[in-house]
Amino acid sequence: MENQLKYSQANEDSKLNITKVGPKTSLLFFRIISFFLVFLIWELAGRSDISIAFPPFSKVFLAFIEMILSGEFVEAYADSLPPLLIGLLITVVGGVIIGVSVGLVRSAEWFIMPLLIIFQTAPVSALIPMLTYIYGISDTSKIVAIVILGMPLVALNSYKGIQSTNPSLLEMSASFLASRTNTIIFVILPSAQKMIFAGLRLGISGAFIGIVLAELLITPTGIGDLITYNRFIARYDKMFATIVSILAIAGLTLSLMRVFEDWLFPKEKN
Amino acid sequence: MVYLIRKILATVSFIISLLATSSLAYADDVITFAEADTITGESLINLIAFERAKARGVNAEAISLQSDDLVFQAVLNGQVEIGVGSAYAAMQTLGADAPVRNFYQLKKLGFLCVVNKNEIKSWKDLDGKPITIHARGSGTEAISYYMEKVHDIKFSEMSFVPGSEVRGVALMKGTINATFLDITNTRLVLASDPDKFGILDLGDVDGSDSLLFARSDFLKERAGDMQILLEELMRSAREINADPTLPARLREEMGLLPDLPQELVDEITPYFETAVKQGMFAEDGGGLPAALGDFDFLVASGGLKGPASNLNPDNFWNFELLEKAKSALN
Repeated sequence: MENQLKYSQANEDSKLNITKVGPKTSLLFFRIISFFLVFLIWELAGRSDISIAFPPFSKVFLAFIEMILSGEFVEAYADSLPPLLIGLLITVVGGVIIGVSVGLVRSAEWFIMPLLIIFQTAPVSALIPMLTYIYGISDTSKIVAIVILGMPLVALNSYKGIQSTNPSLLEMSASFLASRTNTIIFVILPSAQKMIFAGLRLGISGAFIGIVLAELLITPTGIGDLITYNRFIARYDKMFATIVSILAIAGLTLSLMRVFEDWLFPKEKN
Repeated sequence: MVYLIRKILATVSFIISLLATSSLAYADDVITFAEADTITGESLINLIAFERAKARGVNAEAISLQSDDLVFQAVLNGQVEIGVGSAYAAMQTLGADAPVRNFYQLKKLGFLCVVNKNEIKSWKDLDGKPITIHARGSGTEAISYYMEKVHDIKFSEMSFVPGSEVRGVALMKGTINATFLDITNTRLVLASDPDKFGILDLGDVDGSDSLLFARSDFLKERAGDMQILLEELMRSAREINADPTLPARLREEMGLLPDLPQELVDEITPYFETAVKQGMFAEDGGGLPAALGDFDFLVASGGLKGPASNLNPDNFWNFELLEKAKSALN
């Protein structure tokens, strides 16, 4: 009887395992298939006679490996990463602080919100050349470009997250006589977490757009230089490889952000 | 449901008619010249030629694109007919199969090395110092490498700041001490403080600043129209060499660049006087001597992989059209 129970328990567990693992593996499988399909279409399009300026994926992949081995990427990213990381740090920390503060302190709202909305809607690529008049052609211009593109997204989403806290949760914490600090830490922030992280992901994407735009528009250094120079000498395979490298790093950063979010706020188990 | 289908059909037909109209608008016979520079008084040498070609039944227009590489890409993809600039490096990468060829030298290099005299008095003073240039692969980069060889110096850094006007402002603000500027901006910087700013002699730099290039199939297809344009371009270069005040005069007579601000209008004649004095406008469209000169200069400066004697001019130039235009004009 006991054995039977154990067996049925194990059976249940294995069923559970199947249901847990199944969707994850199939998701990974479909993701790989989706990448494979995109690369296949790219390869076919590149091999058809669209334009010399559009090389097939295989050529871009080889250029990518060549650029890693020759140290071109290392050299370019050594130029681009410092302003990108500083800009990202300011975007993430500053954006969350501003968004959360505006959400919590009503009096700050009227002052900061219009600025955030203006920067969110402004055509930033038109503003970037103007930054050179204020900050010159230094790294500061690049950092400011990153912050202008990324921070409003983080701040506005964090603000919306705080604002959309379920009122019944707030009433509950009030009825339990929770202090303001406890309400913020245990009720408001966890409730706003999804929106804050959605904002962070958008902000990080914005930051990557910012660094590329700045390096293309202000002064061609780092990855911006790799793009413009390789386009200039018609090494379109290397130009696309650079773009792919940026996409890969941006994708990796966003995935790390997802892992960080899962670690900070583990998903509730059924 | 029927209502929804009707709405969708209406939207689709609207989009199709919009696309049809826009493609009709594109399907004209205007030959577009694209350059990575704003169209100002300096472009009058082409604009006068376009106006005269128009009278002979050939329509041409000039547009500005953001950078030289974009110009080359637009020509390569057939989005514009003629590119203005220098695309030797790209042509070398694409090799003999490159579908694009140079066919006319519009301008020779006309840059001047402008420096802060308080800091730099000769080329030797620039040894170990930074220099600011237009962009990687640009004419100014080629000149920098050439000067390093000629004067046996080594710049500590070459920083890229696209646009002569931006580099001119940086020089005046004191952010940089040495850079290459075009004639107009050199004049503006020198005029701002003649005691502070000066020019370092570039010696004998003989390279092309702006060449005309196009797809070979286009040059074949529109050979007649292109011959007329080349004849008019050469005619306007010869007339301007004989009389540098001509562009300013013809601008008014032909009504060209009507919106040009007065301060830039005032710069037209001084620019052409200096440019003519420097021999920037070849009277015969460059051709083989220009190609060979460019090979020597660009190989020496690292802009092309050499040796120069191994480079085949036919892989970079189409001389046929120019020769025809020259004999027709002479």
